[in-house]
Amino acid sequence: MPKEIYLVKVGMSMTEGMVSEWFVQDGSQVKKGELVYALETEKVNLDVDADYSGTVKHLVEVGVTLEPGDVVGYIFETGEDIPDTLAGAPAAASAETKREAEATAPVPAVAAAPETVSASVAASDPVVSQDGHIKSSPAARRLAKELGVDYTRVAGSGPGGRIVEADVQAVSQSDAVVPAAPAEIATGPEPKASPLAKRLASERGIDIRSIQGTGPGGRIVQSDIENAAVTGVSTGAAAVSGPRAGERIPVKGMRKTIASRMHHSLQESAQLTMDMEVNMDDVVKMRTSLVEEWANEGVKPTYTDIVIKAVAKALRAHPMMNSQFLGSEIALMTEINVGMAVALPEGLIVPVVRNADQLPIKELARETSRLAIAAREGALGLDDYAGGTFTVTALGMYGVDSFTPIINEPQTGIMGVNRIFDGVEWNGDKPVKTKKMNLSLTWDHRAVDGAPAAEYLVEVRNLLQSPYRLLV
Amino acid sequence: MSEHNVDVLVIGGGPGGYTAAIRASQLGLSVGLAERAELGGVCLNWGCIPTKSLLHTADVMREAMTASELGLEISKPKFNLKKVVKRSRDVAAQLSGGISHLMRKNKIIVFVGDAMFQDKNTVVVGDDTIIADNIIVATGARARNLPHIQADGDRVWDARSAMTPTFMPKELLIIGAGAIGVEFASFYNTLGAKVTLVEVMDQILPAEDSEIADLAKQSFIKQGMEVLTGTGVDEVKVTGKTLTALIGGKNRKFDAAILSVGVSGNIEDLGLEAIGVEVDRGFISVDEYQQTSVDGVYAIGDVAGVPCLAHKASHEGIIAVEGIVGEMPHPLNKERIPGCTYSHPQIASIGLSEVQAGERGEIKVGRFPLLANGKAVAVNDTEGLVKTIFDASTGALLGAHMIGPGVTEMIQGFAVAIGLETTEAELMETIFPHPTLSEAMHESVLSAFGRTINL
Repeated sequence: MPKEIYLVKVGMSMTEGMVSEWFVQDGSQVKKGELVYALETEKVNLDVDADYSGTVKHLVEVGVTLEPGDVVGYIFETGEDIPDTLAGAPAAASAETKREAEATAPVPAVAAAPETVSASVAASDPVVSQDGHIKSSPAARRLAKELGVDYTRVAGSGPGGRIVEADVQAVSQSDAVVPAAPAEIATGPEPKASPLAKRLASERGIDIRSIQGTGPGGRIVQSDIENAAVTGVSTGAAAVSGPRAGERIPVKGMRKTIASRMHHSLQESAQLTMDMEVNMDDVVKMRTSLVEEWANEGVKPTYTDIVIKAVAKALRAHPMMNSQFLGSEIALMTEINVGMAVALPEGLIVPVVRNADQLPIKELARETSRLAIAAREGALGLDDYAGGTFTVTALGMYGVDSFTPIINEPQTGIMGVNRIFDGVEWNGDKPVKTKKMNLSLTWDHRAVDGAPAAEYLVEVRNLLQSPYRLLV
Repeated sequence: MSEHNVDVLVIGGGPGGYTAAIRASQLGLSVGLAERAELGGVCLNWGCIPTKSLLHTADVMREAMTASELGLEISKPKFNLKKVVKRSRDVAAQLSGGISHLMRKNKIIVFVGDAMFQDKNTVVVGDDTIIADNIIVATGARARNLPHIQADGDRVWDARSAMTPTFMPKELLIIGAGAIGVEFASFYNTLGAKVTLVEVMDQILPAEDSEIADLAKQSFIKQGMEVLTGTGVDEVKVTGKTLTALIGGKNRKFDAAILSVGVSGNIEDLGLEAIGVEVDRGFISVDEYQQTSVDGVYAIGDVAGVPCLAHKASHEGIIAVEGIVGEMPHPLNKERIPGCTYSHPQIASIGLSEVQAGERGEIKVGRFPLLANGKAVAVNDTEGLVKTIFDASTGALLGAHMIGPGVTEMIQGFAVAIGLETTEAELMETIFPHPTLSEAMHESVLSAFGRTINL
């Protein structure tokens, strides 16, 4: 029996992706562990290797947008009959038609799935289930626990796709950990929501996973849906009246992710920005000397690196700024992982400097430089952009003096780094030319009030004004 | 004079106050509670509980009177008014003692006496001065008088007098047909008084759905009451043992009258004005977390506004306390508070009436009469209706209104459903046990969508 090659799911936020290149031509041989296709998603590009040896048959062509979990091809083992063409190729089937197809034929060739799921998928699946709530009955969850079945991978057959006992039983008897139907993987776990909220969301075309619940236990209730702006904006509206559009750029991939995440961030949190001027004389001096000192090691710290270090160090003393507002509670994050916004032609990506508070500036500079290069080359790994607890974003190189960065959810703060300019300090009545820079701090007022946020900003400023403290 | 420091002081030991005190204690706070009369408040001592005892007596008596229909031969039951009242008082006393026990168990210091604010953190009760970070005002409400009619405890009764009668009036006037008036009407009517129930609004039970209220009115009339709606009592005069009331331009004679025209908040003599607590039309103004206009001072229950219901007070008590400790409770949704009237027939409801719901948009209304319910026929009590109201576009259950046997015990089913925001789909898929009166709830939902089975 041929083994499926799946479109692997990398990270929770992945909702679609495509094969951007087949490394193994249709009908050619592949060995287990060899690269078989290149995956392109909104966030990352990843080369996927084969889990079996055999003859590769393509089911989809390069560039067809699919959902994670969709089958993109098969590997036929030696001795198996290899058809010339594969029947039932989805071509560019829309998500809707695929879901319908799966609803009517829920048990096709998924039985042999577990081994075919590649390592990267296996790594990301628990993340999916961690998030909590998949529509399932309490009895189903209990049975799943007793039988050792991972219920998050079970396709539900109850009302509204709810996983019921029988589903778990069926999976356990078939003795296969069946991954959820592809549509289920694609949509990820459904959050806890009232039936009415689910119905309203579905009627109004609102993605319920984009909504933060305010009911008991964070459950999504009717008012949450009503408060959420309708996300589906009619693309045809512009053609009816007003200025005519020229080229139309489809909103997909990275653009789509950025659009929805930025919009959601502004909708959900109470964010606001304040600016503070920093005397950068000492930072400029320090950086100049560090650049010289480390030149032969190929390490060149940037101003942003130094700001990241200051931001991270100050977070240790201001844990509320390193928190996540979760509705009914505020989680103080133990690690200080600072995301740094990197602009790519396709859009913005935010790789993460882990434990930035503990890294010496030299190591930090090495890491940011590695991340920036990897980001530009599309070679970021999963760990490289996960787990951020705060973000630093710089527009200083464009001469920007102040802006209002948008929080990278679910973080509580983001620091905007502006240009360094020739400012003035007053020495008595005499103006003294001084290097200055503004910091633009956006924070979530739900978690932190203005005064403590300002105290944090002052601490960052003080660190930058006495930058030797960053070296110890 | 002794001084006490506590995290929370609750003023008033009714269902709101004592619940707040216990919850605060559970959350690790030190708690004091001031009460000037009996623990348990009006609810337990002079309201909900003792009247349920009286009404139970009436229910058993009614059953006994109709026992021949069930093949039983019982001679006509007689009541001993003294014993009926005594049992009601004993029940109240027993439960109030239970609250004392709960206070001890939760290490809540009870201060006996009138409470008076010195400042927003200091309250004096008798010889004790209590300093508290947070103070919860839960002083409740009392029966309202009318400008031209005052209860005198002799022939013009307030609720307290009405639940401790020393004689059974032959002709009884009840002024005000809210839940309290209707319950007394039901009790006295069953025990043999000729009851005249007068309501100035166009329907009895003005808070209820008008269809349900109309069914109640018809039932009361069938049971022998005179029910006058849209009618005021212009004057009441007591001469010896006779009470003369001017109703609709006519003088009518009665043995007694019960004044049940609502309640007003107990906001006086607490020093609220001095510390700047805002009051609006006789009730303390609060925000969604029960906080008054003064930081650290909270108000819950009847004194914080309508509806004046014990379960609303308890819930607000929990909200206030959890808010104090920063647990971010969910504010009370006043459209999800069930209400019950324990007359015969019983009435229970939650959510919007048909008229209110209709004003908000398209609705679907389901009705199922108990006449078509097997259990109701079997227990010889088929007078009743279950009415459900849904949002036509979303399927949200907006309101449920029931009249008939057992409905006060059944309404919680719809309360859970509304609380969980179920739609008609989940309610239809729920299996209701057979044979029960509750099947009428299921059928009512089915009926709203044209799918009723047994009708």
